[in-house]
Amino acid sequence: MHETSLREQLKKIIIEELNLEDIDASELNDNDPLFGDEGLGLDSLDAVELVVLIQKHFDVEIKDMEEGREALASISSLADFIETRRAG
Amino acid sequence: MTNKENIDNAKTWSSRSVGAPWQHRFFYFLIRLGGRHIAYPFLYPVVLYYLFFRPDQRQKSRYYLERRFPGRQGFAAWRDSFHMILELSRSLVDRALVGICGPKILQTEFPEGKRLAELAAAGEGLIILTTHVGCWQAAMIYLAKLKRPVHMLMQQDEGDIDRHYFEHSGRKNPYQTIDPTGFLGGTLEMVAALKKGDVVCIMGDRRMGAQANSLAVDFLGAPVQFPVAAWKLAAVTNTPLAVLFPLKTGPDRYRIDLAEVIRVPQQDSRPLGRLAPYLARYVSCLEELCAKEPYQFFNFYDMWNE
Repeated sequence: MHETSLREQLKKIIIEELNLEDIDASELNDNDPLFGDEGLGLDSLDAVELVVLIQKHFDVEIKDMEEGREALASISSLADFIETRRAG
Repeated sequence: MTNKENIDNAKTWSSRSVGAPWQHRFFYFLIRLGGRHIAYPFLYPVVLYYLFFRPDQRQKSRYYLERRFPGRQGFAAWRDSFHMILELSRSLVDRALVGICGPKILQTEFPEGKRLAELAAAGEGLIILTTHVGCWQAAMIYLAKLKRPVHMLMQQDEGDIDRHYFEHSGRKNPYQTIDPTGFLGGTLEMVAALKKGDVVCIMGDRRMGAQANSLAVDFLGAPVQFPVAAWKLAAVTNTPLAVLFPLKTGPDRYRIDLAEVIRVPQQDSRPLGRLAPYLARYVSCLEELCAKEPYQFFNFYDMWNE
């Protein structure tokens, strides 16, 4: 239950704070890619904001490419990353 | 297609040297033999070779020079190309000179060095916006004094035999390099560095990758797509952005100009167009520099028609 709400919270933050006005949270699947032509279609400049947003809302830092590649793959992977970091 | 391949396909310039490996080694030998006094005179035949026998290379200087000196033709245009290619050649010799003989071989003044040091020491992160102007290796003494780790967003094309200055003496790279062809263009590393209060150096005049990550601003009379990553980073991380130009002022002298310190309010990070006025301030600094030192802006591709 907690994890589901984290995923919904992430969708809301991404859509609202990255101003993706034409996307509805319900249309966004947890496993859709966040970056690239498929899925949400975010780019490297969106990544700049997303990393700062994650730190601001969850106090979790994504420090480098290795962490980022895994964490920023999808909503699910991002939620897992945040959960793991919080637990640690 | 990899991110690197995407970037290579999108950009219309290359960091790859036009010189052959033996030509580079020849100049390194001359520098070791007698420094710039011996190396500089040998630049003249090289520059004349490119002017007379490599029209493709001469043409690369014309894109910028035709904007900077509109209407110039014939001998005047030829002379402009000569000056520009000679200045570039000298800066490459100076770069190797710093690598082989050490940074103190150049006499560099930095009138506002204290201000830059204070900005870095504040611990809120600092973006240094560099440009293909002069020889940035002249600034390395000052960057080393910043007392904060310095990260460089730096791409070296495959097959580029033009060495970085620290490679000459087998020294370790004193800076932490961030690869713009890496995952998400190295943005994660840049954000992390700025959040720690470190210094990140980014080139402001060349776009790498998607057109979407750039904004058109008038430069020398026509729009040019300039990269916006530095501006976005400055806004999102609330980091000041310092525009630095290391200019050659004499045979062994450089002056580093801190042209402007720009702060981008966080609320202007989105939509992208809101960054345009801040970007325009940098472009205005660049235009002023081109007015004062026309042959020290090393632009060898058609940035107006990318």
